[in-house]
Amino acid sequence: MPAPEILVVDDNPGDVDLIRESLIATPFRSKVRSVADGAAALGYLKRTGQYQIAALPDLVILDLNLPEPNGHKVLTWLKSEPELRQIPVVVFSSSKSPADIARSYDLGASAYVSKPADLRRFFSAVRAIEEFWFGCASLPAKETRERPDYSRSAD
Amino acid sequence: MASVETSKTRQKPRLLLLQEDGPGEDPVVRELDFDGNMSPGHPENGSEKLQNWLSSNHICPCGPRQFAEQELARKMEELARSNHELEQFAYVASHDLREPLRMVATYTQLLAERYRGQLDEKAQLYITYASDGALRMQALVQDLLSLSRIGQEPLPLRPVDCNAVLADVVHDLEPAIAETSAIVQLSKLPVVQAQASLLRQVFQNLIGNALKFRGKEPPLVRVFAEPEEKRWLFSVSDNGIGIPPESQASIFKIFQRLHARGEYPGNGIGLAICQKIVEHYGGRIWVESQSGCGSSFRFTLPLQAREQAREA
Repeated sequence: MPAPEILVVDDNPGDVDLIRESLIATPFRSKVRSVADGAAALGYLKRTGQYQIAALPDLVILDLNLPEPNGHKVLTWLKSEPELRQIPVVVFSSSKSPADIARSYDLGASAYVSKPADLRRFFSAVRAIEEFWFGCASLPAKETRERPDYSRSAD
Repeated sequence: MASVETSKTRQKPRLLLLQEDGPGEDPVVRELDFDGNMSPGHPENGSEKLQNWLSSNHICPCGPRQFAEQELARKMEELARSNHELEQFAYVASHDLREPLRMVATYTQLLAERYRGQLDEKAQLYITYASDGALRMQALVQDLLSLSRIGQEPLPLRPVDCNAVLADVVHDLEPAIAETSAIVQLSKLPVVQAQASLLRQVFQNLIGNALKFRGKEPPLVRVFAEPEEKRWLFSVSDNGIGIPPESQASIFKIFQRLHARGEYPGNGIGLAICQKIVEHYGGRIWVESQSGCGSSFRFTLPLQAREQAREA
């Protein structure tokens, strides 16, 4: 299995580094790419401009508190694109507001994880996300994701 | 119009009276200042010009009582608005402060872990100070956020069985109760209109304090409620160290602590939270206590929840 790809959408380089730190020396050898705002995230996922050769990620880790368009808007857009909406999106935000959480699930987030304030817990939260999505969950194959074909579903 | 025109630049509000001196006579305008001096009737009184002036300045000719009522309503509205703004400010500030603070806290932690052994003793100590400071500030900001969040995201009022809430609270406090060999006596409590999560915070803080500020004897905590006219009076009383009378008003202030941090842990937020919740429901909270003779925290909850709270 090729190394899984994670796209981190977060404008705080400190958090991006912490996410990378968390995933050093885990068995999955995930590749972490990052973009700092919603526009770059859209460009990356649509593979336009400088992102033409970007590989589609297996998982998106999305911050909410982004410069416009904010995380909720990016999520809305992602879930409205047929070839992108199967990609699980884990919202990873420092907000614990019930409204932010509810809205994220409403818009189709696969999970909502609050960024822990403690270093150890931060590391274990990121590792738990990786472990669950790449070690436990089954992900859609990239080919079917790009050209949805449900005709060969198992009976 | 001179006297009317100068009232534009007045410092103190004055009252304009539109009076009819007799049946069939033109109304007369008199000005009453707040020292009780009445001006003589103005020659142009009652004229169309004056009416226009009054309405263009949003002054409604009215009697002293109506005037006072309008003033009061305006002041109340102003107060409610500034109160709301302050709450909004506390919420936004504490919410937005968490993000950079988390960076400070996690990166000092990472620094301490990554470079352990490479730094001399002093550098290690300095990092510990920075890290402890950041952690304490995080706790404070978190507390501030919890306080300002009360009532921000309104939940519908439901009948809440206080007996069930207390059972939960006692369960949560079980380790502290066991550790201090405390006895918690619960009387039969009523069902009130509230949100269980908020009521739980009130009892959790009050009973938690009773265990924390204990005397030499094992704590004895009694929780009971008595019906009064239009309200329930709840009491949480203990046999702890008590609170001197001069400190009883200030203990409900945010971050107010009466003891050194080393003596009793905590940020001084618990009672501020209790007060905000109780007042949110239109009740009141206070303490009856003597130094060394235990404390009795009492609060009221209206039988009928406040109109505003019900709408929310």
